[in-house]
Parts: sequence; structure tokens; C-alpha cells
Amino acid sequence: MANIFPRWTNLLPLKIAVGAVTVAAGVALAFTYYATPKTLRVGYQPSQPIPFSHKIHVDQLGLDCRYCHSFVEVSGHSNVPTGNTCWNCHQHVQKDSPKLAPLHREMDPNYPGYDGKPIEWVRIHKAPDYVYFNHSAHVNRGVSCQTCHGDIHKMETVYQAEPHSMGWCLDCHRAPEKNLRPLEEVFNFYYDAEKYVATHGKELGVETTKDLGLKLKEQFDVKPKTSCATCHH
Amino acid sequence: MSKRIWNHPEVPADETTISWRSAGQLEDTAEFREWLEREFPQGAAQLENEGEMETSRRSFLKLMGASSALAGLGLASCRRPESYIVPYTKAPEWVIPGKATYYASAMPRSGGATPLVVTTFEGRPTKVAPNNLHPDASGTDAFAQASVLDLYSTSRSRRFLRTGKPADRAAFQEALAAVAKNKGAKPGFVFGTDDSPTRARLIKDLAAKYPAAKFYQYEPLEGEASKALGDGVALVADFAKADRILSLDCDFTELDPQGPVKPFFARRKPEGADYDQSADPDSMNRLYVVESLYSLTGGMADHRLRVSPSALVQVAAQFAAELGAPGAASGAVSDASHLEWIKTAAADLKASAGKCLVLAGSRQPAAVQHLALAINKALGNIGEGKPLRAVKKDVSGLGTLADLKGDIEGAALDTLFLLTPANPVYDAPADMAFADALAKVPVSIHLGQRTDATAHAATWHVPAAHYLESWGDTRTCNGALTVVQPMILPLYPDCVSETELLLALLSEEGALINGEGEDGAASPAYDAVRATFSEIAGGNDEAKWKAYLRDGFAADTTYPSAEAGSTTATADIAAALAAAASPTKDRLDVIFATDASVYDGRWIDNPWLQEAPDPISKITWDNAALIAPKTAKELGIYDKVIETEQVTKALGFIPVEGKFAAVGPDGEGENRKQPVIEVTVNGKKLEIPVIVAFGLAENTIVIPLGYGQGFDKDDELGRGYKNETHVGLVGVNAGFDAYPLRTSATLYFATGATVKTTAKKYHIAVTQEHHSMYGRALAREISTIDSDDHKGDFKEQFANVAKQGMDSHAPPNVYLYEPKGSATWHPDKDGKAPDLISDPLHQWAMAIDLSACTGCTACLIACQAENNIPIVGKEQVAMGREMHWIRMDRYFASQKDNTFDADNPALVPQPVACVQCESAPCETVCPVNATVHTEDGLNAMAYNRCIGTRYCANNCPYKARRFNFFDYNKRNPLIKHNLYRGPLGKKAVGDAEHLQKNPNVTVRMRGVMEKCTYCVQRLKDSVIRQKRGQKQEVLAAGKPSPQVEVTEKTLRIPVDSVKVACQEACAAGAITFGNKLDGDKSSMMRAKDSKRNYDLLQYIGTRPRTSYLARVKNPNPDMPDAPFVGKATIHMV
Repeated sequence: MANIFPRWTNLLPLKIAVGAVTVAAGVALAFTYYATPKTLRVGYQPSQPIPFSHKIHVDQLGLDCRYCHSFVEVSGHSNVPTGNTCWNCHQHVQKDSPKLAPLHREMDPNYPGYDGKPIEWVRIHKAPDYVYFNHSAHVNRGVSCQTCHGDIHKMETVYQAEPHSMGWCLDCHRAPEKNLRPLEEVFNFYYDAEKYVATHGKELGVETTKDLGLKLKEQFDVKPKTSCATCHH
Repeated sequence: MSKRIWNHPEVPADETTISWRSAGQLEDTAEFREWLEREFPQGAAQLENEGEMETSRRSFLKLMGASSALAGLGLASCRRPESYIVPYTKAPEWVIPGKATYYASAMPRSGGATPLVVTTFEGRPTKVAPNNLHPDASGTDAFAQASVLDLYSTSRSRRFLRTGKPADRAAFQEALAAVAKNKGAKPGFVFGTDDSPTRARLIKDLAAKYPAAKFYQYEPLEGEASKALGDGVALVADFAKADRILSLDCDFTELDPQGPVKPFFARRKPEGADYDQSADPDSMNRLYVVESLYSLTGGMADHRLRVSPSALVQVAAQFAAELGAPGAASGAVSDASHLEWIKTAAADLKASAGKCLVLAGSRQPAAVQHLALAINKALGNIGEGKPLRAVKKDVSGLGTLADLKGDIEGAALDTLFLLTPANPVYDAPADMAFADALAKVPVSIHLGQRTDATAHAATWHVPAAHYLESWGDTRTCNGALTVVQPMILPLYPDCVSETELLLALLSEEGALINGEGEDGAASPAYDAVRATFSEIAGGNDEAKWKAYLRDGFAADTTYPSAEAGSTTATADIAAALAAAASPTKDRLDVIFATDASVYDGRWIDNPWLQEAPDPISKITWDNAALIAPKTAKELGIYDKVIETEQVTKALGFIPVEGKFAAVGPDGEGENRKQPVIEVTVNGKKLEIPVIVAFGLAENTIVIPLGYGQGFDKDDELGRGYKNETHVGLVGVNAGFDAYPLRTSATLYFATGATVKTTAKKYHIAVTQEHHSMYGRALAREISTIDSDDHKGDFKEQFANVAKQGMDSHAPPNVYLYEPKGSATWHPDKDGKAPDLISDPLHQWAMAIDLSACTGCTACLIACQAENNIPIVGKEQVAMGREMHWIRMDRYFASQKDNTFDADNPALVPQPVACVQCESAPCETVCPVNATVHTEDGLNAMAYNRCIGTRYCANNCPYKARRFNFFDYNKRNPLIKHNLYRGPLGKKAVGDAEHLQKNPNVTVRMRGVMEKCTYCVQRLKDSVIRQKRGQKQEVLAAGKPSPQVEVTEKTLRIPVDSVKVACQEACAAGAITFGNKLDGDKSSMMRAKDSKRNYDLLQYIGTRPRTSYLARVKNPNPDMPDAPFVGKATIHMV
């Protein structure tokens, strides 16, 4: 009886096995790398109904975060400004800019196409429904906007700078000293810990930025919790 | 063999107390045993019994495997969905996104409004709590707590109806304008029995505009108190001043309020309301209760006498005679033991003359009202500085329903406005034939939140605005002027408030303006309320008005004092006494009882109330006739009630009943069926299922009112389709309607009833054996007297509370949270504490005082509102799948040697939620660390981590965990079998009910375990709010922040500044909660320092953070039943 399978098929099972293992390992590696917030979320930069530039408003004009995000110090939720906050200035400034058409539609009753409906900003930073993040708990205790949101003041269009994954949250909850700032510097995007140590180090008795973090942690009595109910309830 | 069974210690042989939850347990049926030993009832944990659409675990896995493989192919479409942030266009004042805003308001109701603080999130009311600034603040009951859900109810009326058919607004406007323009019209107005100053003012205006106008007042459960007291006069009790209280069938703590009840409970705690005095039994009040059915007030009683309703007038007369009230002769009561009871109690009342209270149930007939008033007058209890105060209400001279009928028949009316919250077509006395009378009025206009029977019978139905949507004002029991503020515009644009409707009538053109005026102006009701305020408070300046809105009431406003009833109705009393005949088994008394879930029927469409177990009978979703065991035996129905249905399913789906059933299912599982009896009274018949209830008067049947309003095709007894449009999905097919049995002469009870058994059976979902704990000395009770047993006097009993059961033999539990210096302090090498579990700022704990707890279930509903707890429907409750985090256990206990009345057991309620064990058995068995301990002592649940193994629930000795067997929030559990249809089932639970959800609590999905976590969202919020203070301190100090010291004072929340939802709702102050590290500055810690404090199941070493305080009874040593009082310590074995 002739051989049904030619000789080269002898090694086929082994080749298939090796191939399958390689593919499976590749898929697993790819999944662990790509399917994490680090890659899925960081860099998310949707276009907004109005191409609002934080660079112009914060970096060039020097607006404080809290002019628009006015409740960040008192509420868990950091509010996006209402139409009339924008309109305060933009009924006078840049009022003919075509980019502001959606704002005019919302706020300007004399504008053709006025409908009074609020602008729908595309959400960039989103915590899952079962996570209760509280802005006020952080900005009042020395964690800056910049720590989680990155260099917003340099962004023409805002994108997500940090992964905001649970592991990332825990990194800081376990070692908050890396990110703590004096309360005065929380909303300062140009804060430089080294410069701060150079100017204030003596009176605080600290020499390095690391010391400063530890000093602040102790002075503020910051003991972030890492148990589940801190964020999940 | 799925569960290790803890061998609880034996009950000592000399224990004289027998305790039980249900008839099944008292009889110790095998079914009950099995139920007890399971973590969840049999049906609940298995898939075999789950209706037609069942799926086995194996085929489920197969399907899931296939579907996830398919899902993998579709990964390409896996993009992040875009979501939007939509800020306000114009920022409303005070609204901070993400933060709750609180407003003072009130829920108007008969007998005095409930002052409230309403929580709103971005304008959406989600939760109510008592307004503790208010002088008449007295907690909130279950109805007030559940009222917020009515706002979002699916079955809420939202359109105009004309003779039951949808109509448009313009047509109604026209009809209304016609009345408004015709000053010669003959309108009639039927109001509810709540008091509203604005309404009282508008009545005067209406009377001026329409000389022929007539005004009436009607609610079905209003009694005849005004016949004794005088029109518009009410008696308000001040329990702080009452040392002795006699209740003649008056459920003043729950369904029949007589005044703010908080001071009553304060005097049930020997250590004082805040536990700041040393235990003094003399500071306690003493409560005597004479009643026919078991009420929660009866459960609190130190001495309780059960008499049939027709004999109550005799007891009242005897008391009156003993106490020297005019017009009463001795000899009304002939039973020697009852007579002794009454004489001794009367002597005690006499000794406290001027400092005692005699309260007659407001639904009692006029004779009892007269007698109670005469007794109070004889004892000098009424007047300034006395426990009772007679007040004059805003409105008097309103007609009754009988007057209305007369006027309709005399053609004195051409338009009838039905503004009462009652439903007269359904609930008026049967002999009145109100529906026929209503049909004779040319135009009738009904205003209501539900499209009930009256809405369909009236010419017009106008959808009513909820009290949280409308401007109004009201009075609390003592007459404090209290504002009703809207939290939100009416959810549906056509909803109208009563004030708005009356104002439209009073306007020239009769234009109906509701919700808001033109261009966003306030509703005309706002101006009316403000005008009333200015009239009463003397002036209308902005500051005064703002203070009124902020506080919710106008300071120093009260009803004027009045003279209470001068007539003595000797003839009436004599007639009532002559008519009183003791019932026999062939001539039974029937009580038409007020229902704790639906009240008079108005709450039938409220799912929270329907699913909350009745505090005494523990029935959900239905009513049933209650009957005392002895009477049931005499009538030959006892065995039928006790025996549980033997149902099994051959081949998994063919039900086999009776003796062929191979497997006896749980006594109270989905197969619990109760025999249906036929009650004949007043010439009418009613078929209703019957259950055995303890402590009822013999030969008396109790039938709760308010059910059976509509049926559809799914009705078990095949009563549908009948009135199915009168109710929503919640109320349809619920219970049995007893109103047709009730006549004008027998409003509260009827005599001469007969009972016949039938072959029918009906499913009843009863929760009394669900999640049964067992163990020794679960609920503990002591008494203030030495009743000659080994327990000693008060001091000794008080000192020995913690040793009851076998706790004196158990070694002390190790406390893991002790601070430095204590025996359990384990420093590491550097002398520092390992910082694994200890938060030095907050350690939460709770104490529950059984001496004040009545078991009313207000906490249970408050918890449901706060924590987004779903309802599961009758079918699921029957299987033991109810989700309430607080289980209100209700035990009965009687003494073996009780020679006074062995069938009158003591009632002991005990709310049990997760007790937050420090050494929690649930945590050690969770395979995924979804339930873990927090630094501040909570046993936390991470819902997003839970995979639903249910090991934790299996290991919980308190049975405090609940499992989401289905996605109750996404699949409507009220449609029959809908949950079993999986993705094919109807999804929406309603178009608005999600708006009630608390945004700070996860809405749990299927397959997730959940339980009480001490309202962790509130704790976290309060701690964060406190932390924010650091910034303020830095600003105040004017120094760079690193130089400003942050101390414990900055970061620890002020003493007792956070309240959990159950604690907040409790009128009795039975729940105290706080931070252990506040020491005895916290009332919770003072409570725990009391010797009455004990841990539940202390001997198994779980170190619970919630502890209980033993119940104290204050019996009168001279009473014949005194030796049997104060011993109801509950052992469940």
C-alpha cells in the first residue's frame, strides 16, 4: 500500500504545534500590551465641537483652571464650563470667529440658527461607572491637575496623557510623596519642585525634591487608602 | 452537604421562654428545618425550579462558549464609544454638578405633615430625610421614605382623561373655564384631611366667588374622633410629659400618629435619648395597650391585653368607671382576669393623673372616643403643660361623604372637584354606592396621581403633580406652618397641583397655569403660598420668606388652643355597650385594618412598599386574612394553613402535587400556598387566603384594606380582566379587596361574620423564615422589676445582659484595632504599628437599641432609596431572593408558665444588616478578594470584582448578604416570568425610575453579591468634605501650606456629624452610628458603653461592629401578667 502521507508530513504536527504556540504567545503578548489603558486610552484625542485651545487660554492668557472648572475644589466632579462662562468673554472677544459658531447657537439669540442648546463636548477622561473619583479630595491635598491630566496648558487639543488605570491610581496611593505639591502650587502648571526646594528648602528643612515630598506627606498627614471601598461603592 | 453547620450551644433547661418566627417554626415542621439550614432557599440556589424558560448550568456554559467565540470574531468593531459632557447653558444657582443640594419641604398628610429634607442631584430628588430643625420633627416612616419613588412611578398618571379615555388639555381647559366664568355655578370640593393654610384661605375665596359652593373632606380611614372632640378640633399628644400611656387600640407609633413620637421612644431608653444618663428605670414611661390585632405599638407595650374589637368599648367603659369619668358605669367587663388587669392599670393611671395619656385609636367608633376623652378629662391630662393639648385646625365646617351624597341627590351641585388623595369609588363604604352617586353629578373633575377607579368614573381626570413638584403649604400635628417646595418642575407637562387648579378656578378666565408661568415665571401657586405666609407670619419681607424656605417652617407658628368636646354622649355609650357582644366562632368579628404597605390603598402602585414585608405578618405583595391559632383550630383551618404544599416537578417541568411529590420543597418557597376562605359579613362575601397570626383576639379576623384594585390575565385565581387600567404593573393582581364588606356603620370592624373553607389555594410570598438566623440569645430582653425568678432585679438583669445565652462562658474576642498601649498592640521592629488595617482617624461602628425599635421597616426603605436596591417581584420574593439589605426579624416569644394569657406572645423586632465583623467569615472565603476589610473597619464589597460564587453568603452567620440572581435593574421583574426570558425579556423597568437612583452608589448587575456597607458613600463624602478644610486652614493661617500643621482635628469629622440612611429615617432614634475614636463624645459609643450592649452571636468570635442593646420592659409589678413580661430573650435553635 502506497504511503498516503508524503514524508514531509512527518514533521507537520510539530511544526503546527510550534506555530500555534508562537501565535498564542504573540496574541497573549499583544493583548497584554495593547489591551491596557496605557495603549488604549493614552493619546485619545477626539475633536471637539469647538476647537478650544488650552494653550491659548492657559499658557498665553494665563487663565486659572478654576475660572472654567469652577467647582473642582468643592465637588467630586470637575465641571466643564457652562455656556455663559464662555460667553462672558466671547460676546466681546473673537466674536466673529467661525470656530465659535456652536457657542453663538447656544448663547446668542440674535444669531441665525440660535437654538439655546448646550454644546456637547466629547468626554476624554472617563472613569468607569463603578469608580468614584473625587477631584476635591485630591486638589485640596496637594495633588495637582497636571499630575493626572498632563501638560494641559500646552495642548492645542486635549488628549489623555496618563492611563488612569487602577494600577496607575494605586502607584500614587502607595507612594503619594512622588506627586505631592504645596497647596499653593496645585493649579500652577509651571511648578518646578527643584526650584521650590531651592527657594523654600531652608525654611522647610529639605534638600531634595524627594525630601520635599516626604515632608509634605507628613506635614499634610496624607495617608491615601488602598482598600477597595476607597473608590468602589 | 454543601454547608458546615455550626453547632450552636444548647438552650439551658431552665429557660422558660419559647420563641418563634412563624407557625411553621412553632410546629417545628421539617420544611422549616431545611429552610433554616440553607443559606438561600432551595429554589433560589438552583436552576431546576425556574419556570418554563429554564436553562441548565451546562447548556448555559455551552452557549456562553459559543457566543464568546463569536464575539472574538467581531473584535474589529471594538472601539471606544464616544460619550459627551453636556454642561448647563446658564448655570442654575446653587447647583454644583456632582454634589447633592438639600431643600426643606414636607409631605402633607392626614394627622399632620412630615417635615422633610430632600436630597436632590442636579435638580432630581432622590431621597427624603426628616427635617430635624423642625419643632415637630419625628423621623420619617416607610410611606414618607417611599413617596419619592411615586414621583418616578411608571404607572403615574400623565394625561387628562375624559370618562376614562385620553383627552387633550384644551378640552379640559374649556370645561374648567366654563366653571370659572360662571359665578352662579354650584361647585362642590372634596378635600383630603390634611391641613393646608393656603387651601383654607382659598376655600374662603371660593365661597365668596361661588355662593353655592360646598366643601367636603374625605379619607376612608378617618375615624369619628371629631364627634367627641368637636369639629376641627384635634388632640395632640406630648409624649415627653406622659409617664403612663394607655392605648385603646391606638397604633400611635406607626399607622395612627397622635403627636410627635420621638419623645415617647426617648423614654423607652433607661439611659435617656442620648445615653448620657445613668440607667434609671424610673425615667421610663409605661405603656398599656388594649387591642384586637397585633400592632407595632402593641409590640412595644409593657402590658398588652387582647380583646375582640366589639369588646373594646367595654374595656374603655370599665376604665372610665374606674377612673371616675362621668357617664360610665362599672360592670362593663365581666371576665375576672381582664377586670383585674383593668383595675390595676387604672390605679396606675390614677396615680399619675395629669402625667398620663389615654389614646383611643382614631378609627374607633364614637363611643370609645367619648370615653377616652372623658377619662383624659377626669385625669386632668388636657391643657397647658399637660400631655394632651386640644388644638383648633385651620379648616372646620367641611361636609362628610354622606353629606356629599345627600347634596348630589338633592341636585345641589353641578360640578364636583374630587381633590382628595382617597379613591372614593373604590374605598367609600359599600352601602353608600358612591359610584352611582358620582354618575349623577353633571361634571365631576378628579385630580389624582393614579388613574384609579375614581379617575375612570369621573367625567374628567386631571393628572396630579407630586408634592415634590408643587408649591404648597401644610401644617404638622402641632400646627407649625410648613412649606411644601417643589424640587423639580412636573415630570410630565400636564401634571397640576391642587392649589393650581383652585387658583385657575378663582381667576377670571379660568386659565390653567401649572408647573411654571409664562417665560419661566413661578407657578401661581408660589404667589398664593407666599401670600398665606405673609398673612400668618405677619409680613412678607424677603429675609423672612427666605428663612421660611431655608428652614422649611415658620418659627413660632402653631395651632390655637381649643376646648375639646363638651358633650357627654352617655346615650351613645350606653347603646354601644348594649350592642357589644363577644364574638364566637360562628359569629366572628372582622377588622378592616389599616395596611402598613398600602395604607388605604393609595400606595398600591409603590413597589418599595409592596415588597417591604408587613412588619407583623411579613407578607409581601398581597394581603391575607389573619386569624389567631386557637380560632383557626376551632374553625378547622389551622392544619391546612400549617401544612405546606408538596410540589415537585416530574421531568423537570410537570408539577406533581400532594402525596406523589417526591421532594418536599421549602416551607416558604415559591410553592407556599395558603388556603382560601370565604368570609361572609354584612351580607357580602369575600374569598381571601388565610394565615395564622399570633396575639390576635380570638374569634376575630383581620383583613387589611387597600388591595385588589385591578386584575389582568396573569391573576392566579382567574379574576382578570377586571379594572386592570386602574393600577400599574406593581399593583395589578395584588391582594383582595375588603372594601365591599365595609358599610357606613361598620367602618372599622363588623360583627357576625362567618367563615367557610374553599378548595382554592393562593400563593403568598412571606419572608418570615427567609434568611433565618439561628443561635443563642439573639434578641435580649430584661425587665425593670424582679419577677421572682433567678434573674434578679433591674440592676442585676441590666448588668447581666452581656452574659445572656452562653456568652458568659465564651472567651473575650480579640480586638484587632486596639491602639498603642493595649494588650493586642503588636509593634514591629522599629516600635511602629504595622499600618495594615488601622485608620487612626475613623473607625465606624453602630449600635441598635431594641428598646426603642418597633420594627416598622422605615429603615429598610430608607436603605433601599439610598443604596439603589432593586425590587424583585412577588415570584422572586417567594423564593427568598428579596434584596433588602436590612432584614427586619420579628420574633414572638411566650412564657411556658404564662397563666394570664398564653396566646398573647411578646413581639420582639430586630433589624439585622451586615454587622461589619472585624473578623469576618465572608472575607476569608472569597476567592477573588471582592469582599475585603477597609482601614476604617468596614467590610467592603467591590461589586466590580465579585464573580458571584456566593461562598461569602454561605459563610455568613448573620445571613446578611444578598445575591443578584437576575439583572433586576434591567429586566422588569414585575412581568410574569420576564426574568427567565433572558435577552428576550422586556427590558425597561419604567421610563423614569432610573432617575431616582443615587448617583454615588453602583447599580449592581446580575451575579453580584451585595450587602450593607454602612452607607460607605456617605462616609467617604463626609471624610473628603472634612479634608477640604485643610485648604481653608492654610488660607486662614496666611502661611505657606508646608508650614501649617495638619492635625487630627483638621482631618477627623466632627462628632456624630455623619448619619447613615437607616439611622436618619428612624423616628425612634434606635440606631446610633459614629466614629469609635470619638470616645464617649459620640452617642453611639455611649450606647455601646451601656451594660445593655451585646454582640450578636458573640460566642462565635466575629467581633461585629454593630452591636445591639437589650430591650427593656417596664412592667407594673402589681399587674396580673407582670411575671411574664420582660423575658423575651430569643433563642433560635
